Amino acid sequence: MATPLTQAVLSELRRIVGERGLITAANQLQTYECDGLTAFRVPPIAVLLPESTEQVQKILRVCHRERIPFVARGSGTGLSGGALPTEGSVVLSLSRMNRILNIDIPNQQITVQPGVINSNVTAAVAPQGYFYAPDPSSQTVCSIGGNVAENAGGAHCLKYGFTVTHVLEMTVVLPDGEIVTLGSKLPNTPGYDLAGVFIGSEGTLGVATEMTLRIMRKPETVQVILAAFDTISSAAQSVSDVIASGQLPAAMEIMDRLSIEAAELSVHPNYPACEALLLIELDGPQAEVDIQMSVVIDICKKNGAWETRLAVDENARFLVWKGRKAAFAAAGRLSPNYIVQDGVIPRTALPVVLEKLNAMAAAENLRVTNVFHAGDGNLHPIVLYDRNHHGEEERAIDLSLRILDVCVEAGGSITGEHGVGREKQCSMSYMFADPDLETMQRVRRAFDPFNLSNPEKLFPTPRLCGERSRGAYAPHPVEASGIAEVF
Amino acid sequence: MISPSSATLRAAEDLALVVGGEFVSPDADGAIAVLPENTQQISVIFRYATKNGLTVDPRGGGTKQRWGSGAVPDVRLRLTRLDRVLDHPWQDLTCTVQAGCTWASLQQNLAKHGQFVALDPLFSDRATVGGIIATNDSGSLRQRYGSLRDLVIGMTLVLPDGTIARTGGRVVKNVAGYDLSKLMTGSMGTLAVITEANFRLHALPQYSRTFTVTASDAIRLAPLLAAVRGSHLLVQSLQLRRNKTEAHLDICLISHTAAQQDALLAGMARDKGLALQEASAAPCFKRETLLIDGSTFIRVSTLPTNTCAFADELQRVAPRIDIASISQGIGLHDVSLRGPGGEITDAINQIRSKYSTTVTVLQPGPAVDATAFTIPAAVMSVMRAIKHNFDPGGILGPGKFFASA
Repeated sequence: MATPLTQAVLSELRRIVGERGLITAANQLQTYECDGLTAFRVPPIAVLLPESTEQVQKILRVCHRERIPFVARGSGTGLSGGALPTEGSVVLSLSRMNRILNIDIPNQQITVQPGVINSNVTAAVAPQGYFYAPDPSSQTVCSIGGNVAENAGGAHCLKYGFTVTHVLEMTVVLPDGEIVTLGSKLPNTPGYDLAGVFIGSEGTLGVATEMTLRIMRKPETVQVILAAFDTISSAAQSVSDVIASGQLPAAMEIMDRLSIEAAELSVHPNYPACEALLLIELDGPQAEVDIQMSVVIDICKKNGAWETRLAVDENARFLVWKGRKAAFAAAGRLSPNYIVQDGVIPRTALPVVLEKLNAMAAAENLRVTNVFHAGDGNLHPIVLYDRNHHGEEERAIDLSLRILDVCVEAGGSITGEHGVGREKQCSMSYMFADPDLETMQRVRRAFDPFNLSNPEKLFPTPRLCGERSRGAYAPHPVEASGIAEVF
Repeated sequence: MISPSSATLRAAEDLALVVGGEFVSPDADGAIAVLPENTQQISVIFRYATKNGLTVDPRGGGTKQRWGSGAVPDVRLRLTRLDRVLDHPWQDLTCTVQAGCTWASLQQNLAKHGQFVALDPLFSDRATVGGIIATNDSGSLRQRYGSLRDLVIGMTLVLPDGTIARTGGRVVKNVAGYDLSKLMTGSMGTLAVITEANFRLHALPQYSRTFTVTASDAIRLAPLLAAVRGSHLLVQSLQLRRNKTEAHLDICLISHTAAQQDALLAGMARDKGLALQEASAAPCFKRETLLIDGSTFIRVSTLPTNTCAFADELQRVAPRIDIASISQGIGLHDVSLRGPGGEITDAINQIRSKYSTTVTVLQPGPAVDATAFTIPAAVMSVMRAIKHNFDPGGILGPGKFFASA
């Protein structure tokens, strides 16, 4: 199906990005054949490394004229296959567009290129006492462009919101090569909220080449409490009680016994050994946080917490979070292979859904470990399996997708922050009815009538979903090499 | 009273079969008012309108019916019968409400569990959920909680061809598919009719104190506004009111009394040579006074750092007309202009050309001739493509955004 580029098109592209901006050698293309969803691999026909909005525009004009599909790529850390090349597509790697263009502290804004790494945004404004709020677990390696495509969240979006809350303005190259400014550095933009629909569209509506982000004042103080429980239900009840008490913590996370053990094996955060660990972070003015923390501790104790441990200084907090953010990578210590899922349920459904998940796992004779962004009901069940055991991978994939079905049945969603991509596109028809998906397609066709921008993603297609070919998780190259353990 | 055309009279008879005769009546401007009971009826009405080439404009409480300068439709779809709060799972901090429910009634329901949708739109006693979303109104709570795009998590829509579509969901964290709720927010009812909305909720603040600082010019208040924005104070609202004679900076703090942030704020004011006075929140944050009969109402955006300077500039733009503004510290200005239409038109054109602002003329007064929206051509062409795919017949929200639609 993949038609190679003609020599004429190839030299036209080479003229745009220069010799070192074009990759066509098969061994180098391999680097781009997958993202964090490594079970799917498709080599692109070429990789382009543009260095400016104008170069992206010229590339997309060629793609549009020649009807060549394209896939934009940041750091390739996505877990749903969003940056997986489509057969016959070129990849636009935006990693060379990695400059911070402007910092405007009085207006609390920063303008960056899409290849800038998430944590470098905070690093750039930290000296002035500011931070960039969205903090996906991969924040030390993932790019802002990828965050925009996926509407990335993170542990702290309970209080601070998702990427979409923090992007003010974007320069976007549309699939026909037109350059538009979506959103505004000013608070209101007249007309449709195109920025709102573009963010989280998983690269299917165009390529963002510049973005102005909102930065926030670093809180005066941050405190984290670790509370150890005998059951997940009592930890979950504490989360509901904290919410009911009117508090809005910066983060509330639950880890189960297996994931605590895995974290201990990999980064030694020195967590209490328990069935359920609840981690609550409060931030704000010192006096306010002190008062809230005493309420939170009372709630945890009332629900049976047998140890509450306060991490006040920066080092202690860093270690606590390091353990939590390493949870996915650490699953590799428990099992040769694993699949990370990303379902969302109404917070109150947590105990019921967990019971179901455990029963389903037991019936398949598979182990499932759980870490949750409990405050917003975002579950990350990790299905552990061994690919070398005959049929186990298929059962693991099937289980992980049935877990999503359970989330939808509980009134939730198939993805809270990883995106649909290739991995979950067949689950979309379980969450949405045909008219819902058809309505989304109307937007898609308005931006991209020829279906060139990251095609065959997000929406279910008869070709892919007829076969029910859904993906498994295998360690990403950066995880395998050990880099991922830092996040 | 304009009498309906024979085509709309026939439509009135036909639509009476859908919603019941008592829910169809002529409006004074010649439109037929139709009051459906549910989403399904709206779908039927739309299919009928599409088939017969009738234009449709949705209406909630009618408080902002003139925003966006639409034309008179054949059918005015009144959503006031869809007025129920359908679900409030308070432990999940979410709710589902029908589009015709008034804002005040929704908030009263949510307050039973100490929660609210963190937004203070205009005319909350009459304005409805659907109309507020369609016009993307926001007030002083935006400082802390953001605008509707940060609060709406899902919707039920009816498209002009009768398609009933759901978008988003009932959970606060959800990235499955395109977020069409954002596309609908502020779309002025030109793409689809919103029949239900799901919101994320916040707990009502347990403590709140409002302070006002007064000066002759807004620029004198600018250092304090900047200091508050860069501080660690728990600020719910930060607002500047400006009229011909004076400027007030209103600051609402929501920290626990024991945190003594009021003393901190008083110290900051003193440092800038200003005096803090405790005030009552309700009159400070009420914007309805800007919409007196006959006034022109515009919304202007500037950078946050230009908030005070711009409010002063407004008073100099046209000294002969009466201008009052209420500005949020983020740089969002609601402005009322009263005077001769020609001079107001000139003033709006001056603001548009002289300052780096975006100006939306939400409600023009008599004899005011100014474009409602100025949207760059490249953005307009994407909007037009979306409009075409949602409403190929151009029956919805006639005259809004697209002059020729």
